[in-house]
Amino acid sequence: MIKNKKTNRNLAVEVKNVTKTYMLRHEKPTLIESLLYRSKNEKHVALKDISFSIFKGDRLGIIGSNGSGKTTLLKLLAGITKQQKGNIKMNGRVVSLIDLSAGFHPDLTGEENIFLNGLVIGMNKDEIESKKKSIVKFADIGKFIDAPLYTYSTGMQLRLGFSIAVHSDPDILLLDEGFAFGDEDFREKANKKISEYRRKKKTLIIVSHWLFELERNCNKILWLERGEIIEYGNKGLLNKYRKSFE
Amino acid sequence: MIFLFTLLYQKTAVQSFYSRWYSTVMFSYFSRYWFDFIWVMTLKEIKARYKRVLLGFLWAILNPVLQMLVIGFLFQFFIPVKIDNYFYFLFAGLLPWNFFSYTFSKCTPLMLNERALIQKAKFPREALVLSIVFSNLFHLLISLGLFIFLSLFMGYLSIFKIVILFLAVFWLVFFTIGISLLLSTLFVRYRDIKFIVQAVIPLWFYATPIIYTKSLLPNWIANLLQYNPMTGIIELFQFIFTNNCSAVSLESVIPGIIISFIVTVIGVYLFIKESQYFDDWL
Repeated sequence: MIKNKKTNRNLAVEVKNVTKTYMLRHEKPTLIESLLYRSKNEKHVALKDISFSIFKGDRLGIIGSNGSGKTTLLKLLAGITKQQKGNIKMNGRVVSLIDLSAGFHPDLTGEENIFLNGLVIGMNKDEIESKKKSIVKFADIGKFIDAPLYTYSTGMQLRLGFSIAVHSDPDILLLDEGFAFGDEDFREKANKKISEYRRKKKTLIIVSHWLFELERNCNKILWLERGEIIEYGNKGLLNKYRKSFE
Repeated sequence: MIFLFTLLYQKTAVQSFYSRWYSTVMFSYFSRYWFDFIWVMTLKEIKARYKRVLLGFLWAILNPVLQMLVIGFLFQFFIPVKIDNYFYFLFAGLLPWNFFSYTFSKCTPLMLNERALIQKAKFPREALVLSIVFSNLFHLLISLGLFIFLSLFMGYLSIFKIVILFLAVFWLVFFTIGISLLLSTLFVRYRDIKFIVQAVIPLWFYATPIIYTKSLLPNWIANLLQYNPMTGIIELFQFIFTNNCSAVSLESVIPGIIISFIVTVIGVYLFIKESQYFDDWL
């Protein structure tokens, strides 16, 4: 019993019997229609009875072909949407880098946007205030900080977004595919930050098609296909996955 | 004005009230983060609206003034309205009505307009609706401030009326939040809500005694109008700012209060239930 409790404390993510279904709609539903007659609802099961858990410090890569439920799983872990059945337990602060510029507003200045996006990510005001200088420095946007965001280049916006995200000091970091952006210099910085997370024993969850990236960053692999877990194991799974295409 | 608000907010008095409040109350949901989020989103709404507009806040006042002039001219010529200071009377009704109609019509398609944010991040979804309500409230308060200033010269105001004004604004905001939450939730699933709302706004305008008083109507219609919460709210505003205080009484506002309470409870309930699945429908 005691031992059980101890292992639970080391869990970063616990997913139990999670099922996520989406309503399939062929046309936009209208209130008038639904009042007049009951339409048949077709359901699409995106995740079917998924269970797995990862420990603190694990770096999980999620693989699978398109439509296998990778993004749905990531959204559930991030708390963007909710499962119909089952339980998800996340221990610690979760930060998702699904879109770095989600909280930005083009008419506001860089500084105002740091507050906006920082809150969207989950920091509170005092925390952002104390980290503001460091965020600006890491993003390397210099005097643009007082200019409205629509004057920024795409690269600058991404850099600012990434800088805010990494300063939020997450316990569990969720990354969607293609977080390698910006110029060579910045990519280096980003990779450095990720290996720093590894050293700090932070939990990392990456969804990607880019197996090379997973090989370098992950120690555990979850293979999804059609909403079900094919296999959950260590890096060796990547080779098996590669072979399945040949 | 923003500066003043920011200053107030950062004053420790407010913050200690804050921390005492949220640490003692069992509503752990309303955390410091929740308040910060609503605050920054509201500031964003206010700032973004006027960032690149020359006249700035003047628009908040200019709009109802222009409306008042147009309606006032028309109705004085076509329909003989026997109300003292008709323009002044109009303005008292138009201010709260504009706040109400702008807010809930803007909030209706809000989740779709903010879908980029909803699909990408986890945050308290109600902040989107509340930030619109509060930023519009900010404009209403500016206009009301000027209007109070004007009323002091007219000599209609008293301390008792100021107390009533607080209650009226509170009721207005309460009902606006309720209906905005309700409509924005329904819109996520039923996209024709937007057209229904667009059709209903002008009808609702005429079903509320803004450009007329209830005394002009047959009795049974006047009684029916009491079930429109906006009737009670607008009549309170007219009572406060003009000397035309025949219509409003305690019995006449109670049906409206009950209806707005029901609407708000349904709105909040549906929103809490549905908001976690918004992403699935956008």
